[in-house]
Amino acid sequence: MKQALRKVALAVVCVGGVAVTIPVKAANWLMLQGTEPASTAGRAKVWGFIQPEYQQTRGSEIDAGPWVGQRAVFNSMRPDLKADKGFNTIRARVGVRGVGMPIDPKVNYFFLAEFGNNGITQQGGGSVKVTDASVTLNHIPGARIRVGTFKTPGSEEGLQAIHVFDYINFTGATNGLLLERFFNGNGSGTFVSPVAGPGTAADSGDANRPNGPVSAFRDTGIQVFDTFKQGSWEHAYAIMIGNGNGIARGENDDNKETYLYWSSERVYAGSGPRRQGWKMFAWKQSGKRTLTTEGAGEYDRDRAGLGTTYKKGKHRAAFEYITADGMIFNGTDGGAIAGSTSNLPAGAAGKFTGNTDVGGDGQVTASFNMETEGEADGYYLHYGFAPNPRWEFDVRYDVYNRMTDVSAKERQFKTWTLGTQYFFNRKSRVIVNYEIRDAKAPNLPASDNANKILNGVDNRFSAQLLIIF
Amino acid sequence: MFKHITKWSILLATLVLITGGVQSVFAADKPFAEKKIVLQISDPDPFKQTLVLNVANNLIKEYGTDGVEIEIVAFGPGLRLLFADNANKGRIQGLDANGVEFRGCSNTQKNMAKKLGYVPKMNPVALVEGPGVVRIVKLVTEDGYTLVKP
Repeated sequence: MKQALRKVALAVVCVGGVAVTIPVKAANWLMLQGTEPASTAGRAKVWGFIQPEYQQTRGSEIDAGPWVGQRAVFNSMRPDLKADKGFNTIRARVGVRGVGMPIDPKVNYFFLAEFGNNGITQQGGGSVKVTDASVTLNHIPGARIRVGTFKTPGSEEGLQAIHVFDYINFTGATNGLLLERFFNGNGSGTFVSPVAGPGTAADSGDANRPNGPVSAFRDTGIQVFDTFKQGSWEHAYAIMIGNGNGIARGENDDNKETYLYWSSERVYAGSGPRRQGWKMFAWKQSGKRTLTTEGAGEYDRDRAGLGTTYKKGKHRAAFEYITADGMIFNGTDGGAIAGSTSNLPAGAAGKFTGNTDVGGDGQVTASFNMETEGEADGYYLHYGFAPNPRWEFDVRYDVYNRMTDVSAKERQFKTWTLGTQYFFNRKSRVIVNYEIRDAKAPNLPASDNANKILNGVDNRFSAQLLIIF
Repeated sequence: MFKHITKWSILLATLVLITGGVQSVFAADKPFAEKKIVLQISDPDPFKQTLVLNVANNLIKEYGTDGVEIEIVAFGPGLRLLFADNANKGRIQGLDANGVEFRGCSNTQKNMAKKLGYVPKMNPVALVEGPGVVRIVKLVTEDGYTLVKP
């Protein structure tokens, strides 16, 4: 894989440096999000979108382990995890973009803020977060420069504009490996109940939780990129260096994240985010993460992927394979909500979680876990059929293999998603999804607690309204 | 005598050629045009750029390439339409091929050059000469054009 990625990097350099090329107008995610159409953009175009939604599972409880009978994290509604069904305004974003000085088309800016209730706004205080704030300089032919906070060049599912995403929930691999959660510790320490039990002292500490907003597929840094046209083909590249700390954070160590991206697309028709074409792409990102509490240290974090998208006439399809090495988000202890206290007899909980029961009262607190040395991979296949401009029917199959390097810890998540979209107009639609979810610990017997817990993963129904303005 | 006539013939032919050439630069050569329309673009709104090109296109569809003379005059913030890198340059090229004339305001160009520190590169199909508003006044009052400001 590393050898293949070296070839990709070489190809990126070749495309950027050798090809006889003509810069094109906005026609892919790098260009659509990072640049403005030359000499036609306004000083400030206000735009945004709202996504109210409803999600529901059966609400099956945890079937085994220290948190038996309690609410299961995987059957709870994001991001609050307090109910198995309900309404939420998952995203409400308002942005401004354009050219600061309209007669100078070479300097563009992009600003976007999140007002919705999700992993961006719930963590780290405050109810509004700036997700994008960047400036693009278009002075050097073939090497546009974007600086600030913005979407990183990477996976199609993360890089694409969320308001043209065909589904409501991300695939398992994208959610687990690319929608990064940031922690101070790995969750393996003495994170136990702070409440004193009968005859026992209060334990210190609390659950290991994210220390701020999710990455939202973004980072703060500098990116060199451009797109070139050769006949009916478009080639794009991006090289970025960032902090590797997502959004709403500064730098916390001297390590820098590097991103490489390449795509080639045969363009059939149209323009903008719903352009018809056949695209192939590959990407890689590498960096380190620093933990400061339990498991303190620096750890490598590598992600890579390749895939293809196709859209022509009534048909659309996509495939992407993602691989990960290091800093694998490993869910919560026993499938419980982080912060939940176990309910087993004294001394029993530790053997399930590995956490230390300092107070000796038998209770431990569920934490989020990060496998600093773990490996994982996953892929998704998508097909969509749009018989007319009003309707689109989608089906997606995705597989996420978590902790593939440790047989006892390996977990496999497979999901079929059936979807329907109805477009009221070009900027308003309703999406309905039904996810048939299956999860297992493939190397453990069915009688193992892990498999008993994973058997309780419910199917999920979701409906979402999307209005772009 | 014969030599004298030949000399004058050559001079006359040259004059006709020069005059014809000058006319083709400054006015569309559409003797059968039923309508003469001047479209004004002076607005900073990007949507107006698309709109003015759409209007020109619709006029050609309605009256035919030879049935209408169209000149698009850009001045003020609207001059960006005629910048060489304008995202609509493909459409502009297409309209130019259908006989639409593009005229930019030289006063605006000078003012923009002062702000930018360089003279903005213009679309080669555009003629940037004289004040844009004076051009419109001339076309309307002297040449029988109708002013449309989308």
